[in-house]
Amino acid sequence: MTPSSQTHNPLLAAFLSFLIPGAGQVYLRERSRGLAILVTTLSCGAVIYWAQDNFRFAVNTNTAILLWTLFGAFAFWNIVDAYRRARHQTGGNLIGLLLPTAIIYIVAWQITDIRLERLITRFSYAVKIWNDIIHPDLFFQDAAGNWQPSENFGYIFGTLGPETLAQIGAFSVPVYHAGKIVETIALGLMATLLSTLLAVPLSFVAAHNIISRVRGGTVIYYAIRTLLNIIRAVDTLIWGVIVVVWVGLGPFAGVLALTIHSVAALGKLFSEEVEHIDPGPIEAITATGANLVQTIRYAVIPQIIPSFLAFTLLRWDINMRSATIVGMVAGGGIGFYIVETLRKSAYPQYAAALWAIAIVIMIVDFVSARWRARIMSGDTQIKIGTPKPFYTSLRAWLYIILGLLAFVYCWQLSGIDFRKMFDPGPNFLALIRGFLSFNLDPDVTDEITRAMMQTIFQALLATTLGAIVAIPFSFLAARNLTGRSRLSIWIYYLTRTLFNVLRSIEALLYVAIFFYWVSFGDFAGMLALAVTTFALIGKLFSEAIENIDTGPLEAIQATGATRLQAIVYGILPQIIPPFISYAIYQWDINVRMATVVGFAGGGGIGLLLYTKYFPFMSYRSAGTAVALIVIVVALMDFASAKIREKMV
Amino acid sequence: MLRVEHLSKVYPNGTQALTDVSFQVEDGEFLAVIGLSGSGKSTLLRCINRLIEPTSGKVIWNGQDVTALPASQMRQVRRQIGMVFQQFNLVKRSSVLTNVLSGRLGYVSPYTSLFNYFSASDHQRAMDNLAQLGLADKAHVRADSLSGGQQQRVGIARALMQEPKLILADEPVASLDPVLAHSILKYLEQMNKERKITVLCSLHFLDLVHRYATRAIALKDGKLVFEGLPNEIDDAQFKAIYGQEAERVSIV
Repeated sequence: MTPSSQTHNPLLAAFLSFLIPGAGQVYLRERSRGLAILVTTLSCGAVIYWAQDNFRFAVNTNTAILLWTLFGAFAFWNIVDAYRRARHQTGGNLIGLLLPTAIIYIVAWQITDIRLERLITRFSYAVKIWNDIIHPDLFFQDAAGNWQPSENFGYIFGTLGPETLAQIGAFSVPVYHAGKIVETIALGLMATLLSTLLAVPLSFVAAHNIISRVRGGTVIYYAIRTLLNIIRAVDTLIWGVIVVVWVGLGPFAGVLALTIHSVAALGKLFSEEVEHIDPGPIEAITATGANLVQTIRYAVIPQIIPSFLAFTLLRWDINMRSATIVGMVAGGGIGFYIVETLRKSAYPQYAAALWAIAIVIMIVDFVSARWRARIMSGDTQIKIGTPKPFYTSLRAWLYIILGLLAFVYCWQLSGIDFRKMFDPGPNFLALIRGFLSFNLDPDVTDEITRAMMQTIFQALLATTLGAIVAIPFSFLAARNLTGRSRLSIWIYYLTRTLFNVLRSIEALLYVAIFFYWVSFGDFAGMLALAVTTFALIGKLFSEAIENIDTGPLEAIQATGATRLQAIVYGILPQIIPPFISYAIYQWDINVRMATVVGFAGGGGIGLLLYTKYFPFMSYRSAGTAVALIVIVVALMDFASAKIREKMV
Repeated sequence: MLRVEHLSKVYPNGTQALTDVSFQVEDGEFLAVIGLSGSGKSTLLRCINRLIEPTSGKVIWNGQDVTALPASQMRQVRRQIGMVFQQFNLVKRSSVLTNVLSGRLGYVSPYTSLFNYFSASDHQRAMDNLAQLGLADKAHVRADSLSGGQQQRVGIARALMQEPKLILADEPVASLDPVLAHSILKYLEQMNKERKITVLCSLHFLDLVHRYATRAIALKDGKLVFEGLPNEIDDAQFKAIYGQEAERVSIV
């Protein structure tokens, strides 16, 4: 007997749902529906109450009445739902979903200070900053009318001379003084190198199939995995603020912050890769009498090399992006330079830095993607004949020498000095002590939760806004949908380029533009996040559209359906699940980003950390805030992974 | 001589894979282990070299109780026992030569082997074994570029590098075509006769057992249900091992 064929009293079901939301549904043996309703009711009520209590200025009487009306409507819907379902009527799900969504978005809108009208009323500011952006201070026309690189160009890309490095006949090689963008490249490279070196051995200890072969391995496994998750949940920039207290402002602090975060990220990826290898060879090598180290060397390492390389290249890409902003808090690289330009309101110079970043990051993105594709497709290359040892190849030597030179140069440029780590700054001990003892003073926890909620809602709104705007653009950037006319091919390339340029600049760097435009911190941070969301999601969406299976589309067209019907029945069902899954993934990313947009004045918990707790050395409060970030980010990460798993 | 006494294995999830299995293998035998999928053949073979820890019972190899040995001494025992696998278990991205040389890992120094260093005599031995299996020209090819039958021959070459006194072959031909199955089993038979290596081989097809094995044991639901000569398996025995609905099939 199925639950729906049983007879239940509709009035009793409705009455139960009236007493406790969802209880009627549970009585009808729809336990998960009932539970979902109960949880939604409780959390909506809590959010409204909390918003009213904490944001009196933002949630005025009218808004409160609206919110509680919506809440009441949801409670009423729940009673009707129980009654209807007891009589085996279905449907009505949409209303049940829309009401709580409306509540959440209204609260988010109010407490993150969205002032859409400012986009219009302050439009003249947008025009002004747009003019600076398209006229970056890179070149100027001298008296004779020739274009010359400006002084600012030298700061960013570097200058030659006047000293000479070497004299070759009549030709003198001038000394190159590295610019800020070159220093940024060095930071990214060194951080990637250091973190890979550390993450490789770590990944074996954090892989269950390897470490469980050692006595007590499972305990080590859980300890290390937890530690990695905590480190990973703290953004590079927050590590930057912490590291500055440790080793002082400078490029080395940047390298250290990047390295700490990426060791944890790579360690997780690497160890999962180790866990997913084919166990057959391990069994075979163990059976020959090999010990654990030999087994790793002969059965594990050959299997993981390509994916480790691919992940390292991916991480290099991410590190380069982070290296452009880590300097804003840690010193070193172009980020530090940008902070200076912003302090002086030197927007043409700031714009020049943005363009330099866009060029470098787009190249890095392209190179990293190309190499990754080559590594992953090179799986079945066949070597024939006895391979020559590498040291007999001239080209190999050339690469080794070039690599070593690059390494030494980057090492110097990024000011790596490990001694500083053992000679910590005067406040470092206080910081450690503060981080180990949480400040649970109600005033502080209230302040932190308020900022954290703002951060989460800011990320939610940015994701929604970015994704909605991205949808139409993603259709324009999908090769299989754009027609063959010259115009549509132009549109395709333009949209793709737009995505790539916008994507290459971190959200944090956009905050200044929007702050200038709308001058409200939270709102500016939200808009900055929305821009990167637009670019990232637009790219993912268009790829999802390009990957659709044309079979169903063909089958539906064959039934005599119109073009619109074919899209509704053949394409939409295929792209909606990946769209939702990408949007959720992006929300997860945006929450992490939103924790740091405050470092550039973008509001949220970052603002609290950067302008209140760290400057005034309230390390206990800072530690509490970071702990909350870790918890929220880890929960988001877990929830988004679980939801996405179900979607696919 | 290998003696298995009252061997039982219960997996952590409660599955009783082996129940009180006892039998004996004389030196130089080619013993076939038959039974349905899931009857415990793989578990039995893996309990002998302790890739799987038996729950109770003993495995006595040349007078030594293998089940009681500490991990450090297991290395000495394992290197005398070669193993061949159904899925070949080669490291696909490594060269054939490296795969074969890895059979020496139980003998060589753990430190030098980390740098892929093997002595000239090991290299010579590897090339000889590959030549004997007809793969001399494939030494420097990546393992995954070989066909299934060739990969299994690499697997045998790797086992031979151990200079084993016993080879455990776990369904060595189940992933191969019938024609290739004979080729692989002929190599095992050759090693059994020429190098006097005892072979313990689990097999699916009864006519392969008749053709190659000197003796057979059969497992059903983890229990030993038959022990004797291959031609002693009559119809009644057959139904007892494989169930009432089974019918004899033969492969070329």
